[in-house]
Amino acid sequence: MPASTRRALGAVLAALGIVLVFVGAWIVVELGPSGEAQFRATSKAPGAIVVTSDVLNAVDVPARVTATRADGGAVLLAVAPSPDARAILATSAVSSVSGVRYPAGALDLHASGAGALSDISNADIWRLSAKGAGSAALEVDQGRAPETLVVTSGDSTALSNVTVTMTWADRAWFFEALAMAMIGAVLAVFALTDLWQGRVITVAGDVAKTNTLETTK
Amino acid sequence: MTRHDLITKSAAALRRRRDDLMRRDLTTSAAVTLRLRRDDLIRIVRGILVSIVAVVCVFMITSVPGWAATHALLGIHQAPEAKTNSAPLTVDQAKKILARAFTAAYLGETTTGAAARADLRAAYTREGLRAAEGRVKLASVEPAVAPSLLVAPHPTLLAVSRGFGFPRFIVAQTLASGGGLPILHLLTSPDAGTPYKISMSVEMVPPATVTPFDSLKAGSPLVANGAGPRATNGTGLVVAPATLLKLYAAQMAFPAKPVPKPPFAADSFASQIQVGAAGVADAVGSQADFVQVHKVVPDSVYAVRQASGDALVFGVLERKDSFRVKPGENVNTDANKEFVLLSGKKMITTAASITTLEFVVFAVPRSTGQATLVAAREQAVSGSGY
Repeated sequence: MPASTRRALGAVLAALGIVLVFVGAWIVVELGPSGEAQFRATSKAPGAIVVTSDVLNAVDVPARVTATRADGGAVLLAVAPSPDARAILATSAVSSVSGVRYPAGALDLHASGAGALSDISNADIWRLSAKGAGSAALEVDQGRAPETLVVTSGDSTALSNVTVTMTWADRAWFFEALAMAMIGAVLAVFALTDLWQGRVITVAGDVAKTNTLETTK
Repeated sequence: MTRHDLITKSAAALRRRRDDLMRRDLTTSAAVTLRLRRDDLIRIVRGILVSIVAVVCVFMITSVPGWAATHALLGIHQAPEAKTNSAPLTVDQAKKILARAFTAAYLGETTTGAAARADLRAAYTREGLRAAEGRVKLASVEPAVAPSLLVAPHPTLLAVSRGFGFPRFIVAQTLASGGGLPILHLLTSPDAGTPYKISMSVEMVPPATVTPFDSLKAGSPLVANGAGPRATNGTGLVVAPATLLKLYAAQMAFPAKPVPKPPFAADSFASQIQVGAAGVADAVGSQADFVQVHKVVPDSVYAVRQASGDALVFGVLERKDSFRVKPGENVNTDANKEFVLLSGKKMITTAASITTLEFVVFAVPRSTGQATLVAAREQAVSGSGY
């Protein structure tokens, strides 16, 4: 391989390694040793908040959902099979969590429907539920997916100004990020070493060439 | 010192250092052991490391958000499809529903006032509620059997619905703590927003038994029928549930109208009804004409497929006992406490009627044989006269 090509490749690899080090280290710091990723959004639109199975069941680790009302009123979180949740909210105004944004830590909310919310608390479709004043939290396992999580006031009163926080925790993510940073470091060290050695050899070559010229003289 | 001197000295120092390293370091030893030149060993090791790092880098690079490798790396996947061949309820959910309904039923039938009525409405639905209200109304003249049946602390969960369609059901069995006949309970939910409530509670007819259903995890499908909730599969039974109940109702009429080749076996419940009707007709014969009609209550038939392919068919018949008073006659009903409580009438001059609900459960075979009565119960619910 020509020296110039080798040096260019070494520079690219060194840059890539440094990028991996920074990105990996940043994710390590962000996730922490527990590998916890958190996303949140505040819904201002009146009605229920729905976390669909596309988000709730997207990862094979339990999802912890917390809902907090700004006015301190009652909050009900409930989880049901997705077809049932769709059926009971078919005509109601809802804000659906349709996606997550990483690393922004935000949830995408999509408002739909316009009907009044019915009192869903008496239905037998809910597998898990949690109720609280001002705030409530629920940890949803993935054993009965697909499921949908619904946040309401616990009666037919429409919710507004509610902050929903979703948290996933997987220690494997932390170690993957750590591995990324370490691999980046190894890559950067090797590439930089190679570049440095190439520079030394070039200098040494120049010196040898100079000596030869002096001897000839 | 000139530039040349500096370069010469530096090169010499580097050579010395390299020579020292070549003499002393582990790499040289390893190369000697492997019978390789030192430079060759370094090239090989470096090549291997760079290859590994390159592979990992490619994997990492393709792990940027939105690329498939990200999903693979983080375990992100599409949410699974809803299973149509599983139960929409967990066993724990079903047991909680049973406990709630039976508690409300017990409270509704053993207490009085507005709270009791609210409990009854929370526990029962449709004909089940009509029967419970009739039972409460007639509690002073009928033996109080129902509450003791509901005291059973641990109902046995027999079957739950399969799939996400509606209506849904739960089949349970209780055995009164003081002994007596086992009771079959059918709880139903017509839609996602309405909780399960008791549609019927029916004493089993000795020596009937109930064969097993599919597992509670898989749920049990409903069999299609023309007089109640439908399911996707065909009947696959010796007789369609709706036809069975229609013929059963017809053969119990008074005056009797025999059903040729009935698809059901003779049973003690129907015999008692027929004998009772003949007795009433004889008793009132001098003062009134008596007719008894049985009709299947619309949307009351639930046919639940069992593991063997047979089905357990639940249905409700509405019986109307009609009296037409003969001209010039006045009938004093004071002795009939049940009729007085239901109608508020003690003297009938023209006509009277009593409506009774008959809850029946049949075991219907898949291919051969006749349907057999598994459980039956009757409850007077209303009366009128003038």
